[in-house]
Amino acid sequence: MKISLNWLKQYVNLDGVPTDELQRAITFLGFEVEGVVNTALVPLANVVVGEIKTRAKHPNADKLSVCTVDVGATHGGIRTIVCGAPNCDAGNRVPVALPGAVLPGDFRIKQSKIRGQPSDGMMCAPDELGLGGDHAGLLILDGSLAIGLPINEALPGGDTVFDLEITPNRPDALSHIGIARELGAWFRKDVTYPEVTFRGETHGVRPDILGEIRVESPEDCPLYVGFAVAGVKVGPSPAWMQERLKAVGLRPINNLVDVGNYVMLELGQPLHVFDAKKISGRKIVIRLAADGEKITTLDAKERALNSRMLVIADATKPLVVAGIMGGADAGVDESTTDIVLEAAYFRPQSVRATSKRLGLASDSSYRFERGVDPHSTLEAARRAVDLLLETAGGTVVGPSFQVGGDRPWSREITVTPAYINERLGFEIPATEQRAALEALNLRVVREEPTEQRGPAWTVSVPSYRGDLDRPIDLVEEVLRLYGTEKVPAAPAVGPALVDSEDAPTVIFNRAVTSYLVGQHFHECVNYTLRSAKELKTWVSDSAVQELALTNPFVEEQSHLRPTLVLGLLESLKLNQSRGNHVARLFETGRVFMELNGIVQECAGVGFIIAEDPKARTWLPRPAPDFFAVKRHVEIIAAAAGIDLAAQPLVPVTGAYWGWQEGQAAAAGEIKVGWTVRFGLLNLAMVRAAGIEGKVWAGMFAILPEKLAEQQTRRMRPKFQPVSNFPAALRDVAVVADQATTTATVQTFITGLTPKLGLAADVKLEVGPIFDQPYKLPGNKQSLAFPLHFASGQRTLTDQEVNDAFKKLQMLINESGNYNIRS
Amino acid sequence: MQDTLNAILAKAQPELAALKTRADFEAAKARYVGPHGEFTALMKQMGTVPKDQRPAMGKLVNEAKAQLSAQLDATLERIAAAEIAAQLGPAVDPTLPSPDVGPGTTHPLTLVREEMCRILRKAGFTVADGPEVETEYYCFDALNTPPDHPARAEQDTFYFPETARFANVAKKIPGEKYLLRTHTSSVQIRTMLKGEPPIRIVSPGRVYRRDTSDATHSANFHQLECLYVDKNVTVRDLKALLDYIFASLLGKDTKTRFRPHYFGYTEPSFEVDLSAKHLPKVKKEWIEIGGCGMVDPSVFEAVGYDANVWSGYAFGMGLERLAMLVYGIDDIRYFYQNDVRFLKQFA
Repeated sequence: MKISLNWLKQYVNLDGVPTDELQRAITFLGFEVEGVVNTALVPLANVVVGEIKTRAKHPNADKLSVCTVDVGATHGGIRTIVCGAPNCDAGNRVPVALPGAVLPGDFRIKQSKIRGQPSDGMMCAPDELGLGGDHAGLLILDGSLAIGLPINEALPGGDTVFDLEITPNRPDALSHIGIARELGAWFRKDVTYPEVTFRGETHGVRPDILGEIRVESPEDCPLYVGFAVAGVKVGPSPAWMQERLKAVGLRPINNLVDVGNYVMLELGQPLHVFDAKKISGRKIVIRLAADGEKITTLDAKERALNSRMLVIADATKPLVVAGIMGGADAGVDESTTDIVLEAAYFRPQSVRATSKRLGLASDSSYRFERGVDPHSTLEAARRAVDLLLETAGGTVVGPSFQVGGDRPWSREITVTPAYINERLGFEIPATEQRAALEALNLRVVREEPTEQRGPAWTVSVPSYRGDLDRPIDLVEEVLRLYGTEKVPAAPAVGPALVDSEDAPTVIFNRAVTSYLVGQHFHECVNYTLRSAKELKTWVSDSAVQELALTNPFVEEQSHLRPTLVLGLLESLKLNQSRGNHVARLFETGRVFMELNGIVQECAGVGFIIAEDPKARTWLPRPAPDFFAVKRHVEIIAAAAGIDLAAQPLVPVTGAYWGWQEGQAAAAGEIKVGWTVRFGLLNLAMVRAAGIEGKVWAGMFAILPEKLAEQQTRRMRPKFQPVSNFPAALRDVAVVADQATTTATVQTFITGLTPKLGLAADVKLEVGPIFDQPYKLPGNKQSLAFPLHFASGQRTLTDQEVNDAFKKLQMLINESGNYNIRS
Repeated sequence: MQDTLNAILAKAQPELAALKTRADFEAAKARYVGPHGEFTALMKQMGTVPKDQRPAMGKLVNEAKAQLSAQLDATLERIAAAEIAAQLGPAVDPTLPSPDVGPGTTHPLTLVREEMCRILRKAGFTVADGPEVETEYYCFDALNTPPDHPARAEQDTFYFPETARFANVAKKIPGEKYLLRTHTSSVQIRTMLKGEPPIRIVSPGRVYRRDTSDATHSANFHQLECLYVDKNVTVRDLKALLDYIFASLLGKDTKTRFRPHYFGYTEPSFEVDLSAKHLPKVKKEWIEIGGCGMVDPSVFEAVGYDANVWSGYAFGMGLERLAMLVYGIDDIRYFYQNDVRFLKQFA
């Protein structure tokens, strides 16, 4: 919202307060100053109007000119001045700062030499004079201004305009009087309200102008005031009014429209002026629109209304969308002679909903949405009547209407100065607190002693401060006026015994991040929201549907991610296309797993290892493979408390999207709380994503609650003694079908242990295979395992180991599924 | 015999010098000093030497033996050295680069987040986490945000269809909609509902706003919020925390100040400005870094805490903004492109 300093000064004396001091005051009152435009000149001595007589190129600098400038006989006549502005053309009258002048920013002008050329003063751009605007060129003055005229006489007046951001809790500050009240409180100056002379008196009754005002929806319109003015003369509004409206960015239209806008910007109450002859039936009805009813608003757009939208209608049609915008054919024009002035209070929620539904907002709806003060509505209407009579003539005629608004305002808050100091944590003396409150028109109407906490104040809240209703709200008011900048530093943060630990997801993320970074991965951060097209390469169409947002902002970001791999592929592609050689990327973050129409939010870890087909190296290294990925996945799962070796691991088939059949594996299920997929990514998908070379990946996801469970279950390990006796080693080669997995055979052999007749202290450990699976005819394979027989108490005899080994071989041969390789 | 000795030595010298392998050496050694070796055979002839010549001959033989033995030792040493040399290969050029990938890098957002968490841990704050898909209750209602508040509009917040089912995000109010959280304050509500004061948590996490992406805005970004609830928590305590955090993170010259502001869930509310002109690309005296305030009594009411007993403060800031400030990064989009030339700068 724009606030003009000249306008403000009508209500509060701010003379002598520098602009930056005002800006600071506004800021620390809680209104962010987004911009300041200054069109007023500070007093500047030795700056005069000059006319450029000649312009020549500077001999030693491309961008500079050497000008002769006439500054008037009393200031030394023609002077030579070097200038860098593009517009220092002969004939232009410009401000000239003569030697001795001091420009804003303590910039002292002296006779000087610029690149070897003497320069006797400076021609000025707007910013150099402290005016708003840019530094693009010299300020070109009106050619009729006398040469030698002091610049303050040449450019009288001007204004300073602040652009403020008003927080939604402060609708009372959406006006000049509102800001004047705040500044008055800050500087402890009185605020003068505009004098209102009209008190409702009418001159005759003219039912032919307005016969009736009926409010059919008092809930959405608790107060409606209407005055009829007959015999107005439409014309331009007075210069002072136009100037103020223009200063805050409004285009003056005519006296009737301008008065409405002026009072809104002055007092914060939106108003509407009707041309009486356009009110069909001489009747104003405040009602909900009928479904399908239409209105063409002032912006020349036809809008379809519905039965939840409040309108101001006449006997036949809606004239105004209540509180938002008038209809194109109900407004005043040059032929208007009689008018009806409306001032109302509309329910904020109603205006907000309608404004949103229609996609239509205005200065008026902005204020109604945030809430105007219904207890000031009538006074604003009277102020407008005064200005209408002053600027457009006419007489107020009866009948006048006020519908609703009967409840008087009264609100009191009881607070103790002790409470305020307790909440602040430092002392503001009671007298100072009270002065701050009263400066804000929060009067202490009663003071009563309490038993232990000193006096208790009963504070009356003015009607325009509906945001204040609890003692804590007054703490803020006192602190605001005391100055939030002055909150003292405390020496240290106070101690607190809080018995809690970082969340399990956080501990897990830290562990895997640290591991993967240590394994040479680059951590990435990708967007959670991804496109439907991309998701379809990864999950079923029904899952894509479950992950969709109702209201995506852009098509590429319309769905929750079911995996981190897609983002990592995008990062890989970006790096490849930029010629960066990247092999390893990872990301941790939330992923969304769908199963049978239900989505689970999971903590996820994803990584990729890419073959770099363009890499050139003086010493080639082995290519990445499935088993390198497997090791990373095992360690990640272990960080979540899951022993992957103890889990059934299934090779992926075509049913797993995104993974290459026969080159990838899966374990776990989101049903049990976690899932992992790893191996080679589907080559066709990777190529379609625009990536060169093979990409291996791992994607682990776990429910946060499962992670918490795993971490609480994980107990401190108990020490196990390490055996000092050597193990006896035997190798066994087992023939099995090629389709049988190594793990199956290993589990089978381990399972034979109880049948081997070993002494109770002897354990058999079947180690991992020590040779590549060896293909045999008949779709068979040979798998060789090392067997460790060991006791923690003694060295085993050859005899007992041999007996057990023979027994084992016999059992394998008798198993039916397996044979000892002969 | 002396001639024979000399002949053996003369023959042995070039033969031994030519040997390359340990096996050849062993064979050669056997030929001379093995049980059937030439030299051994000669020694055996000593018995046939006339007695008077034996001392002189013995001396000669011993000398020759020592000579031969030394030659053999030297040969073995030479071969052993050659074997080691063969194992080692040529000397490396230590200036050649390692062809292995590495090192890995931690993302700057993670670095800043973890640093903040470490700083806050010293002040007693532990890290809390919560879902990114939230319900209206946790994201808005419990935080004193009325149903028709603009922040809740579909224009600003991402929603899911009413039929959406998120199994592990429980709804508080039947029929309320799922959404993507717009701030991590929902974690504060979940934490307060789950436990009793005192509470000291920091909740870093990803949040979502329905907004245009540009140099300073992104569809998702990260926040870090602190919540402290205890008896007699004051505005001054809040200021102390912020002074501590930013002095720890950015150096002792860093100052903070409050400007009054408005948030529905705190009262009084402030925006926090930082003065840290020693940082790269910081030109203004004061830069806005976050929002904070004293927990509004209505929030305590929503989570069932007695506002007459408990008080607290909350503080929140954008992690991207902080990382941009700390490292002098001027465009938020760098964080989401993952160009390794960017990532490698912060490891």
